[in-house]
Amino acid sequence: MGTINSAFSLISGALDADQSALSIVANNVANANTPGYTEETPNWQQNHPIEINGSSYGDGVTETGATSLRDSVLVARLDQQQQFASASSARLTALDNVQALFTPDSGSTSSKAGDIGSDITSFFSSFSSLEANPTNNALRQQVLSTATTLAGDISNAAASLNSQRSGLDQEAAGVTSQVNSLTKAISQLNLQIQSTSPNADAGTLEDQRNEDISQLSKLIGINQITTENNGLSITTTTGQLLVSEGSSLQMTTGMVGGATDFFLGGVDITSQLTTGGGELGGYLTARDTDIPSVLSSLDQLAYNVSTNVNALNNTGTDLDGVTGTVANPLYIFKEPAVVAGSAASMSVVMTDPNQIAAAGLAQGTGDNTNAVAMANLANSSIVNGQTPTDYYSSFVSTLGATVSGVQAENTAQNASVTQLQTQNDALSSVNLNDEASAMTTLERSYQAASQVFAMLNTIMASALNLGDQTAVS
Amino acid sequence: MAKAGNPEGIEEKRAMLELGARRELPELKELVVEASRALARLDANRLQELALSCQALNRALVPANADERAVLASQAREATEEMAVFARVLEATRANLNVMNRLRELRAGRLEYGQVGWVPTESRHGND
Repeated sequence: MGTINSAFSLISGALDADQSALSIVANNVANANTPGYTEETPNWQQNHPIEINGSSYGDGVTETGATSLRDSVLVARLDQQQQFASASSARLTALDNVQALFTPDSGSTSSKAGDIGSDITSFFSSFSSLEANPTNNALRQQVLSTATTLAGDISNAAASLNSQRSGLDQEAAGVTSQVNSLTKAISQLNLQIQSTSPNADAGTLEDQRNEDISQLSKLIGINQITTENNGLSITTTTGQLLVSEGSSLQMTTGMVGGATDFFLGGVDITSQLTTGGGELGGYLTARDTDIPSVLSSLDQLAYNVSTNVNALNNTGTDLDGVTGTVANPLYIFKEPAVVAGSAASMSVVMTDPNQIAAAGLAQGTGDNTNAVAMANLANSSIVNGQTPTDYYSSFVSTLGATVSGVQAENTAQNASVTQLQTQNDALSSVNLNDEASAMTTLERSYQAASQVFAMLNTIMASALNLGDQTAVS
Repeated sequence: MAKAGNPEGIEEKRAMLELGARRELPELKELVVEASRALARLDANRLQELALSCQALNRALVPANADERAVLASQAREATEEMAVFARVLEATRANLNVMNRLRELRAGRLEYGQVGWVPTESRHGND
């Protein structure tokens, strides 16, 4: 078809293609700041050659649409790392709040959980003071006063922990509606993508779906499964279906044992969500593992201190010459029946300081044998094989180590997310960097960091050895 | 962030190189934290500067006197936690690098065979 119209067609086709390409570039620039927007590149399709007077002139090109520069594997890796980072961030925030409870506040005049360590010391020291003058009323009052402070700080700490646990429960429950909204949106986008672009990149629709998946990854741990015709199914990390192409399953909540549990299709998936990641995983780990563990330690301390002190006081003789009996025990603290809940219910039940049994059994009221025995409890291994002070110190150290470990984990995960975001931005976002440059930077950084790590490791090992030598000499 | 050709960067580099020559030892903890930060940002230039300063520091360790040795030992103990964080960031970077290399392979496969969409490259096993 060697006509002038063909030549025009060739030229105008090229112009149209340029125009389409320009509009794609314009679209990229306009969306440069849109979250999740992926740069599009024009696709050029070769046209049939045109013959004019027996000569074949070029092929011509037609712009056939845009393909987004995204990579699903990188995006999936980013989403996965985001799940871990979000989980550790949520857990770290909760743990920081717990740790703050047990941090001594030197500037405060009021007693608080952070003073429990010094409360224990003061309480047992008050018996040491009583030893010297067992009939002195002021010293007896001092014993009850320090006991009240200790019990108050422990029970307040337990109440604060329960309150924090309840707050986390509400935060966790609040995530459900966000998850449901996102899974529904993703399923609808699946339908749109499958109907409009079953065999090609769906551009903006795919950007929206990726953005929703990214948001979902911050909330819960998920797995993505690519299906036919650009479809996508999403499950929890343990395989429970959340989105199956065009349909989504709604997560529901219900109270079980005083805490919110999460259900999918009638199945309780709380424990799976706890280990899965995302904010919800972090909240649930803090709610169901970290805080209960701290509470349990505090319960053990309260239980053992209360029962040991009560047992000794009950076997001595008080200032009125009375010894405790089963029917009328001489207890300083409310006697706990079981370990669980001992911290929350710890209180002083004794109101009359004369009932402090400083004297030994069948001894005169001026005797101090039992006061000595009660003072010695401070150095006795009465809480899980440790003295009360050592047990508390160990508990605080363990909590500190847990916080520190989660902090380290969170720092590393956030660093990983930052790195992947940098790579993804270089590939997907509208900027001038290209993939090769991003890869080179990643490789150079890793190699240089490996060298720094190896050298620091050597320096630290040498420094510690040198330090040992110094100590010996 | 130090950039090549930037006077501040040159100053920074010189300062880092001088670390080893100084008698005052730099805080090890700061070095480790800075390395973790630079790696998170993928700041290769900064990491290379840190590598140079670590080399200098390593050389400076040999003639250190007893007081300096004790100070350095104490700093090393204090930096243990930060070193663990750095190790984790390094490990995460290695994993990310593996992912990116794998992606490069996949893309190369796509370009070579004109594949559209995600197609696994290990299709040579079995009858798949």
